[in-house]
Amino acid sequence: MEITERLFNRLMVGVVALGFLALLTAGVMAGWTVARNRDYTALVNHTYEVQEQITDLRLAMERAETARRGYLLDVDPRFYDTYRDAAGRLSATVERIGVLTADNPRQQRRVAQARVLIARFISLLDDSVGLVRADRLELARENFENDQSVGTVRDLRQLTLQMNNEESGLLQIRDHGQQDTGRQLIVVLLISGVIMLAVAIISLWVILRYTRDLNLSRRELGALNGNLEATVQERTADFRRANEEIQRFAYIVSHDLRSPLVNVMGFTAELDAAAKPLSELVDRVEQSAPELMTQEARDAVRTELPEAVGFIRSSTQKMDRLINAILRLSREGRRVISPERLDMETLLNGVHDTLRHQASSKGAEIDIKAPIPDLVSDRVAIEQVFSNLVENSVKYLAKDRPGLITVRGSVTGDRVVYEVQDNGRGIDPKDHDRIFDLFRRSGAQDQPGEGIGLAHVRALIHRLGGLITCESMLGQGATFRISLPKTLNPERGASL
Amino acid sequence: MSDPQMPVTIVMIEDDEGHARLIEKNIRRAGISNEIRHFTDGTSAMDYLYNDKDGPALNGPALILLDLNLPDMSGTDILNKIKASPLKRTPVVVLTTTDDKVEIQRCYDLGCNVYITKPVNYEAFAVAIRQLGLFLSVIQIPSADEAG
Repeated sequence: MEITERLFNRLMVGVVALGFLALLTAGVMAGWTVARNRDYTALVNHTYEVQEQITDLRLAMERAETARRGYLLDVDPRFYDTYRDAAGRLSATVERIGVLTADNPRQQRRVAQARVLIARFISLLDDSVGLVRADRLELARENFENDQSVGTVRDLRQLTLQMNNEESGLLQIRDHGQQDTGRQLIVVLLISGVIMLAVAIISLWVILRYTRDLNLSRRELGALNGNLEATVQERTADFRRANEEIQRFAYIVSHDLRSPLVNVMGFTAELDAAAKPLSELVDRVEQSAPELMTQEARDAVRTELPEAVGFIRSSTQKMDRLINAILRLSREGRRVISPERLDMETLLNGVHDTLRHQASSKGAEIDIKAPIPDLVSDRVAIEQVFSNLVENSVKYLAKDRPGLITVRGSVTGDRVVYEVQDNGRGIDPKDHDRIFDLFRRSGAQDQPGEGIGLAHVRALIHRLGGLITCESMLGQGATFRISLPKTLNPERGASL
Repeated sequence: MSDPQMPVTIVMIEDDEGHARLIEKNIRRAGISNEIRHFTDGTSAMDYLYNDKDGPALNGPALILLDLNLPDMSGTDILNKIKASPLKRTPVVVLTTTDDKVEIQRCYDLGCNVYITKPVNYEAFAVAIRQLGLFLSVIQIPSADEAG
């Protein structure tokens, strides 16, 4: 099972909540049990007190009865005192029991009965004792034989026994309650304990599992990261290798193309040199033996041979220029780009100075609009880009107006945008892409050049991590816009 | 080539027949009349240099004109072998199309005596070879004994 972070969080919250709930239940239960215990103890004490009072009641009753009998047998005033004391205790005790059992209607009823019985008992005994005190001992003894005191005493005994039993029963019920509470507490604590144990085990399991997953994914991430870096490096290396391959290819091709070209040119020169004595021979033959001369021989030596040599020469020269252009581009691609801080105004003024003569001879004006933002890039490349663009503007002027070439620049975010604008003859929009291709040119072919300038510029701009676009309409001038990173990262630049 | 007793042989290792012919013509035009032995590949050239009875290892001083782009082995390998062998004092003129800075440095490091880039422009090429011829006419070549 895969534990997601969300699931893990939910699970953990749930488990911990359950744990706390169990703890809370256990605590509440324990508190409740303690309270119940206290109440119970109070009740038990109460019951004991009531039972004690009941015992007191019975004792007092027995003492009163015993004292009366003693008094009847031996008229001793100490028996009378004892009787009075016991009788007083009897009344007081029954009242006390009445107060203590105020919450129990059954006991209250018994207390009421007891009051009646005690009142009767006391009145009987009082009569008996009163007769003794009035010196009517015989009557008293006679009455003793048949008065109802024995029955009353029995009833009272019965009653107190019932009351005692009632209290014992209550005690037993409360005891059960107490035991139940204890059992409940134990059960609750046991359940809570089990739950908490389960919570602890689940938490531990989840945490262990999650930690293991986390470690696993961290390792995977690390491996992936390493792989990614390796992949990027591999790709970059591939790309660089491919680029180097192309550069090397261009270099080798241009060199290998040059080799036969040397022969073509060399033997053309030899041919040309060989034509000279032939031409002299034809001249001499024409003078000394005109009959040997034919029109074909004359034409061959005087016209066709020089013409052929001329075409071979111009073609090989053109080919040589093209090969040199490829060679230059390939060298440019191999050159190490070294970024430095460039003071663009100084750089552009330098470009202006080298083209000043060319511009003034064609009546063109170059305007470098300060301020020009500086950038960190390769000096040679930037110089070549601007001198190519400005030179192009100077080359392709409109014939009907004086040339005006404006260079300006602005900063957009982390890039710098430069513009080279002219009021020259303009470029047909359908040629806007073509002009950046090698050996491709646009418009009237009335200017010298191989069509490598803009191809070179674009290659340089790409190497510097930039873009170049052309905006122009035929006859309305052209604007070349260059966007370059403000600070050239050589790694990124070189890979382009 | 000042020693008439021991004429110096010019060993030209050049795979392009046309180049070889043009080089020879222009050397002749510079007034050099020494024998020129032409080889179009490295193997036969090495064989001549070390094993031929007329070759420089066994007989007579020589001067080597070496092109770097050969079909069977690189010119720098040949240069390396020559300069590490008894023929190490034999002057080697590297005459090639490559004007790569690193390549030039490497050749001089390996002991090449002169490095000349073939100009593509024929006039310049002819002039360069003629000048080389003039140069060859004045330099002193160590004799075979000294070379041994």
